[in-house]
Amino acid sequence: MKTVTFVGMGLALLGVAGCANTERSRTLNNPDVPVKVTAQQVCSNCHGIDGNSISPNFPKLAGQQEAYFIAQLKGFRSHGRSDPEGFEYMWGISHNLTDEQIKGLAAYFAQQTPTPNPPVHAERISAGKEIFEKGIPSQNVPACEVCHGPQGKGNATFPRIADQHADYIIKQLQVFKKTEERPEGVAMKQVTHALTDENMQAVAAYLNSMPVPVK
Amino acid sequence: MRTITIKFKGGLHKAIVMCSSIIVGIAGLLPLGAQALPAFARQTGQNCVACHAGGQFPELTPYGRMFKMTGYTIGARNVPLSVMGVASYAEVANTSKSDNPPSDFQKNGAPIFATGSIFIAGKVTDNIGVFSQTTYDNYASQSDNGVFHSHTNADNMDFRYADRLINENRDVIFGVSLNNNPSVSDPWNTAAAWMQYVPVPSPSSYQFVDGNAPYPGFGAGGNLAGVSAYMFWNKMVYAEIGTYRTANQILSFMSEGINDASTTKLQGANNPYWRLALSHEWGPNNIMVGTSGMIAHVYDGGSDISDPNNLGRFKNVGIDAQYQYILDPHTVTAQLAYMRQKTDYSANTLAGASPYFLADGVTPVAPYNASDTSNILRAKLSYIYQAKYGGSLSFFNSTGTTNTLNQSSGFDSNGQITSLDPLGTGISSTRVTGNLSGNPATRGLTYEAFWMPVQYARVGVQYTAYNKFNGASNNYDGLGRNARDNNTLFFYVWGAY
Repeated sequence: MKTVTFVGMGLALLGVAGCANTERSRTLNNPDVPVKVTAQQVCSNCHGIDGNSISPNFPKLAGQQEAYFIAQLKGFRSHGRSDPEGFEYMWGISHNLTDEQIKGLAAYFAQQTPTPNPPVHAERISAGKEIFEKGIPSQNVPACEVCHGPQGKGNATFPRIADQHADYIIKQLQVFKKTEERPEGVAMKQVTHALTDENMQAVAAYLNSMPVPVK
Repeated sequence: MRTITIKFKGGLHKAIVMCSSIIVGIAGLLPLGAQALPAFARQTGQNCVACHAGGQFPELTPYGRMFKMTGYTIGARNVPLSVMGVASYAEVANTSKSDNPPSDFQKNGAPIFATGSIFIAGKVTDNIGVFSQTTYDNYASQSDNGVFHSHTNADNMDFRYADRLINENRDVIFGVSLNNNPSVSDPWNTAAAWMQYVPVPSPSSYQFVDGNAPYPGFGAGGNLAGVSAYMFWNKMVYAEIGTYRTANQILSFMSEGINDASTTKLQGANNPYWRLALSHEWGPNNIMVGTSGMIAHVYDGGSDISDPNNLGRFKNVGIDAQYQYILDPHTVTAQLAYMRQKTDYSANTLAGASPYFLADGVTPVAPYNASDTSNILRAKLSYIYQAKYGGSLSFFNSTGTTNTLNQSSGFDSNGQITSLDPLGTGISSTRVTGNLSGNPATRGLTYEAFWMPVQYARVGVQYTAYNKFNGASNNYDGLGRNARDNNTLFFYVWGAY
């Protein structure tokens, strides 16, 4: 390859330098980028193109309640939600998103179909199911299904928790119980107050294993 | 079992004081912004741990690899500037077995400000991004009166165009990288350009620190000029192919600051580089298995490139694998890299004759072999807790063919071992780096512990222990220096902003 090829390559790079490419952009401060593009080009890196993340570091977003989703992204944007994984990843991602973009992303992920998770700790599932359906009356722990619905699909600002990654559920339950990093979830502070680590692991195993409810 | 004894000289106290000052200084920068992070972090607004496994820069997470492969274009365009600096301290186990200790062990046991870099790094357009490093070396050279001189030159550079076609059925990232170091464009950290990453200070007491111990790499080295095309298909198959030439003419900025005689000169632009990797993610785990290679036609350093007799050739073929487990608060990384290199020497190199004799002082050593084959293996396991406290263990093993060309100590015509060049042919021969066997075999372990008090600063200590060096465990130079005499303690403070 001759010098001219390298020069040509450089010129070609410069030539496209001025072009915006909103149909495949990863820019996060341009409201003209369609929300589907942002979801696919950026969000998908951690959450999967259909909202079914692979790593339990990142929550599954498929089928998530739109109102909850919007509240979380606005919480990240305002720094109201400050759990470590939240601010490490999401403060920056949400920083320049408009309300319209947030709404559009919520709609995009709400429309996705959750997929089943690989099983974890099958021996904990029955105990988790018990807590999910009946709570722990002796500890004044209410049943999860009271707010999150009998199938765990959630309702408005109560999130869908069915088929969520077990590790993500445990992490968030600990955040609610031990910190003030999610003030919007203050109701969960009371719920988690009496939950032991074993209780959390059990309920997380059950949620992880819940059959995918038909919407 | 050998006991390792680490002795500290008075200099360590100074080192700790200096390094503490640097940490305080870096921490003092914190109020400058809520997102007081280097350039890429300012662009995405994210913390270092988003892209770097356990915050252990520069090792990338799966997301960090996507950020790189998509051309550093995620986020909002920002001021694309960062700086980085390294202060350090080193002690070599034995500084007495040397013809010239002040020269062989410069700055031994003394804290120094070793090196610093400026980065231009960030998003340019929706499809174009830049990673460009220029490095200042505070101890680049030393004059006869012992005064050190600093120097600044081009370091790693990667200018890339990337695009991504993604929908429910397919995900293809593709792009072009204009870069100056084979594999600097690679997203995995077992690539030759990235596996060793702690900056290595120049003074000679650092010649045995881990970064100077064998690492799988390409014979052609860096500060070249190359272009490569790559694609990543369905987060599963990564393929890259490119070629390199001399970084001169319009691309001379890629070797800026390196004088002409020291600039690597390649023949033409037919010096291909290739890379193929398979990747898979499941749960908090991800794994990559890959291979890479390069064929480079390289002129002898500082030689006349119009003379084809100065032309040699490197052929590298490597395999590598990396496993990561990332689930807060734990980060585990296992890395394995192996590189085989065949070196064909130039005709003019082979035209010379060894200045050494056999022990009888009469019989010349065997003629040079026209080529050598070497094999370098690196295996590393690291663990980080809470993106703050980490440690690693690294094993290195270099083997290869024996060649009198590689001898840098031997018998003179009196049958005496000499660390000098008996025939004055210009062989750089000192006791400490002497090689009596002509074999490159070097083997050892590096133990490391580090702490990241804030996300863009790292304090680390490495101890590198050799049980083989330059082909032998004992008396590798023929003058009584043993491999373990080179064991080195290396303490560093590394910060970026």
